[in-house]
Amino acid sequence: MSARIVMKLTVVEAIATTPEVVRLTLVHPRRPQLPAWEPGAHVDLRLPDERVRQYSLCGDPADRSRYVLAIKREEAGRGGSAWAHAHLGAGASVPISHPRNHFLLTAGARHHVLIGGGIGVTPVAAMARHLAATGGNFTLHLCARSAAQAPLLEELRAVCGERLRCWFSAEGERLDPATLGPPEDGVHLYACGPQSLTAAVQALGWPADQVHVEHFAPLVVEGFVPEPFDVQIASTGATLHVPAETSLLEVLRQNGVNMPSSCEIGVCGACECGYREGDVIHRDVVLPQARRRDHLMPCVSRASGTLTLAL
Amino acid sequence: MSTTSAPPHIEAFAHKVGSVAHGVPGGATGWQGSLLHIHIAPAASYEMEELTEARCVAGRGIEGDRYCLGTGTYSPKADTREVTLIEQEVLDALARNDPPLQEGPIHLAPIDHRRNLTVRGVPLNHLVGRRFQVGEVILRGGRLNFPCKYLEELLGLPVYLPLYNRSGLNCGIERGGIIRPGDPITLVE
Repeated sequence: MSARIVMKLTVVEAIATTPEVVRLTLVHPRRPQLPAWEPGAHVDLRLPDERVRQYSLCGDPADRSRYVLAIKREEAGRGGSAWAHAHLGAGASVPISHPRNHFLLTAGARHHVLIGGGIGVTPVAAMARHLAATGGNFTLHLCARSAAQAPLLEELRAVCGERLRCWFSAEGERLDPATLGPPEDGVHLYACGPQSLTAAVQALGWPADQVHVEHFAPLVVEGFVPEPFDVQIASTGATLHVPAETSLLEVLRQNGVNMPSSCEIGVCGACECGYREGDVIHRDVVLPQARRRDHLMPCVSRASGTLTLAL
Repeated sequence: MSTTSAPPHIEAFAHKVGSVAHGVPGGATGWQGSLLHIHIAPAASYEMEELTEARCVAGRGIEGDRYCLGTGTYSPKADTREVTLIEQEVLDALARNDPPLQEGPIHLAPIDHRRNLTVRGVPLNHLVGRRFQVGEVILRGGRLNFPCKYLEELLGLPVYLPLYNRSGLNCGIERGGIIRPGDPITLVE
């Protein structure tokens, strides 16, 4: 069970960690302690128009007094980061959900290989802090264009020391995931960053339970054409039609079935729903493979024929 | 997150439950309670905020609250939900694990239970179909509140079963005005 209450937190510090990335420190205006979280967790930030954006917590998980986020200004993004850069100075109030985690460290692993590409370094930064503080064995690969454009670089140098390996493409150095070597028992890979990076890590052929990736962008499948399908509600037997241009989540909502929802692009995991039968076309980036056998994300995923939902 | 039109509230004594109870003799009399806390939230899922004073608007809700603004989880569905109340005695019972329906005591602070008013000495389960006064404001009991799985999910606490049948009262506002913690609460005969 995970609580999803939205807190209006106060920005106590906003500093540029690179020219494009602002590092925000948030505290609760009344409570000395924020909800606990584990490395890899993210929060939802609610924009004034109620759209939601996910950001990883990149501070120290042991410090319950504050949350630290790093937000990159994405000119080509969906508008959330531009709003955050324009409005979230010291003293600003920002609606933030309780943390949620789809990107957990594996307890008992012998070695953790953390890979952060650009702003994707944020969740693995929290992992590195936790592992450094608790005596875990790890290496952090930080990929960026240059030192000046590497988010959180100074603090990660201090946290990781020799365990930090930087790859600056402007200096001609790029991480080739193939050089990480063959899989070994007890070694886990964690990657967050551009889809090209996470795809390259997943393509290494390591056992699925030793590779962990975090996505903050919807999955883009070129040429996907949504088709209409029918959905049956198991408890009532009611059948609903999902037109090609409408999401399953929206059809459920129109018929009085209110699922929790947040990002509605298949990345946050809020609307997860069980199903009994059906040929599901999974289009989210959050559900683990094993869970896809009987769960789907109705905000983006669809089906062909008739789908029976465990509702 | 604001809305210009009033959310679709059902007048308390027109609610299918309140309308049956209204005018039927019985209920608890001779009690006097008090208002302990006032909480509102600006929208669904937002943390509640405590107020030292609140304005109740007849037929609408508490100024600034999600069910006055139409931004609540259940706002789209017409119901009686202008003001919600819960008994401090219920919170005390949960804290001593009474009845022992879950693993242990649940400490549900007034800021966390998501009802607007926390009251003491008020027999809420006897107030469906009745009028009662909080300070200068007159409320009408429309229906018993019912615990929801949404609250359990939101709080991350197993409160559904222990709140069953004592989850508070949903009211309409007959006469608006200002309320403050410490206001006496009495039955309007």
